[in-house]
Amino acid sequence: MASGHAEHPGNPALVTAEDVTKDLLGKHEGTSNNFWRVASVFGILLILGIIGFVMRLSDGVSDTAVWGYYAAMFAFILTTAQSAPMVAIAPRIAKAHWRRPISRVAELWTVVGLFNLLLFIPMLWILPPLSDGRRSLWFYFDGGDVPSYSPHIWSTLAILGLVVIGVALLWMSALPDFAMVRDHAPDGWKKRWATRLARGWIGSSAQWNMQKHRLGILGAFYFMMLIFVHFLISVDFLITLVPGWVDSLFPITHAANGLQAGVATVLLTIWALYKFGGYKDYIAFDQIWALGKLLFALSLLWFWFWFSSFNIFWYGGKPEEQAIIELLMSGPYRWAFFGVFFFNFLFPMWTMMWNPLRRSTWGPPIIAASVLIGTFLDRIRLYVSAYSIDGIGNPAINKHVVVEIPETIYPSLADIFIMLGALGGMVFIFLMATRLIPIVNIWEQRELKLYEIHKTFHRTVVKVLGKPD
Amino acid sequence: MQDHIQLDQKQINDDLLAGVLGMPKWWLPAVLFLTLVVFAGLGSFGYMMNKGLGVTGLNRPVMWGFFIVNFVFWIGISHAGIMISAILRLTQAEWRRPVTRAAEVMTVFSLMAALHTPLFHVGRPWREMWVFPYDFARGVWPNVRSPFVWDPSAVGTYLIASSLFVFIALIPDLAVIRDRAVNPLVKKIYGTMCLGWRGTPRQWKLQAVAGILLSALVLPVFVSVHSIVSWDFAVLIGVEGWHSTIFAPYFIIGAIHSGVSAVAMLMALSVWLWGLDKYLRPDHFDAIGRLLIVVATTWFFFFFLEWVFALYTLEGVEISLRELQVFQWPYGMLFLIFLATAFFIPVPMWMFKSVRRSAFWMFFTTLLVNVGMWLERFLIIIPGLVRRQPFTFDWGTYHPSIIEILIVAETFAFVALGMLLFSKFFPLIPIFDIKEGMVVRDEIKIGRRIVPATIRE
Amino acid sequence: MFAKRSVIGLYTDEEAAASALDALREAGYDQGEYEVLTGTPYPEGTFGEEEPKHTLYRWPLIGAACGFIVGLVLTSGTQLAYPLVTGGKPVLSIPPMTIIMYEGTMLGAIIFTVIGILIESRLPRLFMGAYDERITEGYIGVTVTTSEERVGTAEEVLNASGAEEVKRGWENN
Repeated sequence: MASGHAEHPGNPALVTAEDVTKDLLGKHEGTSNNFWRVASVFGILLILGIIGFVMRLSDGVSDTAVWGYYAAMFAFILTTAQSAPMVAIAPRIAKAHWRRPISRVAELWTVVGLFNLLLFIPMLWILPPLSDGRRSLWFYFDGGDVPSYSPHIWSTLAILGLVVIGVALLWMSALPDFAMVRDHAPDGWKKRWATRLARGWIGSSAQWNMQKHRLGILGAFYFMMLIFVHFLISVDFLITLVPGWVDSLFPITHAANGLQAGVATVLLTIWALYKFGGYKDYIAFDQIWALGKLLFALSLLWFWFWFSSFNIFWYGGKPEEQAIIELLMSGPYRWAFFGVFFFNFLFPMWTMMWNPLRRSTWGPPIIAASVLIGTFLDRIRLYVSAYSIDGIGNPAINKHVVVEIPETIYPSLADIFIMLGALGGMVFIFLMATRLIPIVNIWEQRELKLYEIHKTFHRTVVKVLGKPD
Repeated sequence: MQDHIQLDQKQINDDLLAGVLGMPKWWLPAVLFLTLVVFAGLGSFGYMMNKGLGVTGLNRPVMWGFFIVNFVFWIGISHAGIMISAILRLTQAEWRRPVTRAAEVMTVFSLMAALHTPLFHVGRPWREMWVFPYDFARGVWPNVRSPFVWDPSAVGTYLIASSLFVFIALIPDLAVIRDRAVNPLVKKIYGTMCLGWRGTPRQWKLQAVAGILLSALVLPVFVSVHSIVSWDFAVLIGVEGWHSTIFAPYFIIGAIHSGVSAVAMLMALSVWLWGLDKYLRPDHFDAIGRLLIVVATTWFFFFFLEWVFALYTLEGVEISLRELQVFQWPYGMLFLIFLATAFFIPVPMWMFKSVRRSAFWMFFTTLLVNVGMWLERFLIIIPGLVRRQPFTFDWGTYHPSIIEILIVAETFAFVALGMLLFSKFFPLIPIFDIKEGMVVRDEIKIGRRIVPATIRE
Repeated sequence: MFAKRSVIGLYTDEEAAASALDALREAGYDQGEYEVLTGTPYPEGTFGEEEPKHTLYRWPLIGAACGFIVGLVLTSGTQLAYPLVTGGKPVLSIPPMTIIMYEGTMLGAIIFTVIGILIESRLPRLFMGAYDERITEGYIGVTVTTSEERVGTAEEVLNASGAEEVKRGWENN
């Protein structure tokens, strides 16, 4: 490598596929005390969250305003953890080799979908039925009665489908790794589970072929389902609650935000693995750099989507549009909006333009953290403000304009507990999942050994990357 | 690329410069014919300037007709160049190599074609310069709050940027022509144009960095151009169906859909007209076919959202506009053709590998897409205006006149003529890029299997 | 000001060209004196040449700053100079201003980048020096531009390392 601008994985001890397997399995087997310390912190946060939820529940579900922060946390996990697997799916379809060490990290986040599925259940009680006559996705042309619980039913099915596909994707991708754990790990619960989950994987070419195709199909389905869930959640659980908010771009903005935050989630996770997890031989500059560039592009996209909506509302200037601008941007949640604008767009743009920062292993993770903070504020700004509108579920409410902009709702103690619990639960479940499933994809790493060769080309050393069909 | 053919540099020069140093038999008649069409269009424009816009089919309340439809259409086509070359350069996709130049050149000519129509449409084109802030004497300045001032700033930026992009990437190839040319005057001209290119490592490195840096800079411009064109419509609240937040991304993805399709057509034409089948392999068609499936599906989702949110409002005027678009003659028929050609015929066809790998079928399907996307713009613009508004005192429907049709034909002929003239003086496939592709190609042997590979720095 | 002479050796094989560079280095020529000319970009360092340094990344930033200022002055200036309220929008309307400022910024960045590319590539080059037309056909040229006394040695070195042909060019400095 003539222009070595940063370190590359090149541990001389990891030349053959066997070395890699041994090393990664060894890392998977051992669990340090530090791991348990960190995990217990997040576990405690999760318990706090449960306490917060019980406190919240004691207020009942009839007043939507108090549930705003809860809804925001549900949306936050949808936007981060459940969108993160795209980082594995898209580059795998594009056959990009840099994804190999990090695709498992991205896929592992699908497990958190199970947690979010639990969080979703109360949302069904909070969302009022359509019998209040508000605008909804489930319109009938002839003005006939709309089934009142359409949003509840379809959203549940969609999110259930997303979680199932996600777990199936993770399992399909982990099959060969389970077999490796089964064959090589010392006796213990990991080996027992791996044996059960490997389902008799012996690595025949038929199995590999089947796995490759199913991964492709499941990935494509996950992507489509993810976009669809973002669409349903953003419309049924957000837009319809705000009278007069007609924003055809918003479902895509919601999903694009998901991609942005999903990349940020994975970036931050792999940075932690790089820095503290002992995976420096696998995860390095290439991965952080690739995700950093992606994050930069998605941050610019954030601005474009936001401006596309804002410009139309600002120019239209109809009363309902002015109300939307005030409710979501300039009004009671201005602090959150400016935060989003800064953390999701300004800060990433102004920093990622600089080569020394973009081409480093420390720059992109900072940007990722910034994007996650921004996304957190964004979900609060959107969901808390929408859920606090007076008269949700009341048939007498004005359906065409937000008449009275609600006051800012600051989080109560229960809300703070819920927020901490959601974040804690998210990380805790992820950490637990890493105990069962190797966090670096062993078979993809072994496959890379076949397709990536460093060789001398006259007076320089080049990397040769094979692209199989 | 599995079915790749390794060629030496001399062979590449001879093949790719065949159209420049020689002249295919069909070239001159084709150019003459296209020139004729261009003159017919310019003649109609002269007539229209003399008689006024009354000679067109425009009438109250439909004041935007074929001209504006065509403007949006060509802006859309122009997005292919940057889409293909910038995105594929940034992602280091190997299959971009033979495609980039033609796509970029098409950007330049279709932007010029796009600029024609609003210029003609304003009726008094000499006043068009009022969009520029030049009036120092009277103190009347352009109104920057109007999208019609954003348009020239965006399209102008894009035109300048893409022309410079084409020029920078052309320099090494100009040097090749300089070295091949026999006529001393021609040699001198190309020698001047290539600025004395020698091919030092520094020059090559800058060429590579320039490709990436300019791609990264042109990409945001490309996004802004069609967004701004869409805001010509969307910032308005007076016409149903236009005031929609999705318009900017929807126009962009539609532009990519039609633009990438146009590139596929261009690839097929290159194979047929210049016999470049050694460079444009079935694999290239396959790759662009796969890309098109993704683009078309994304486009369809945006289309779906635009419709859902129109119906979501449950407002009578909005719904009656949609009824007009879908159920009333002739828009209903056009709507069906539009959906079939833009999505429902081509996308299922692209699912088949044999279709994607065939130049003929790719040409056919992408032609359909462009018919469909032209109709899409028509169906956005005309029905919205045709609809009777509460205070409309005068309404007719819209029939394009022969003058408008001639001028629209002129834009198509203009782009084709531009491409043909360009191909006579410059290679349409970047020679140095193809050569680099040959250098960095490698293979990896795994057991009994040989996997194609690429050298990366 | 003393006249410089240049000489070019043509090679058909990358390895031979690379060893010609090695030989030149051994004969005491420094990297300002010899150059590889190729008809196609090779991976950096293929011939063992120095990695070219450039400052191209600064150019778009300077251009963007200029373009932004021009955009800002134009949009705010024209609105203030002709304060006609249209569409009920404020006289200094920021959203539309950002659109034109954005275009100005990008235009500035792109024009400066293109100028930067030319300057950093050392183009336009008025005198070709030692060159051969076969370079764009696949030959690899190694040129040495040096003082009159040393050009003869260079010619020998190039010949010794297996050049297909060695010829003189000229260059003014």
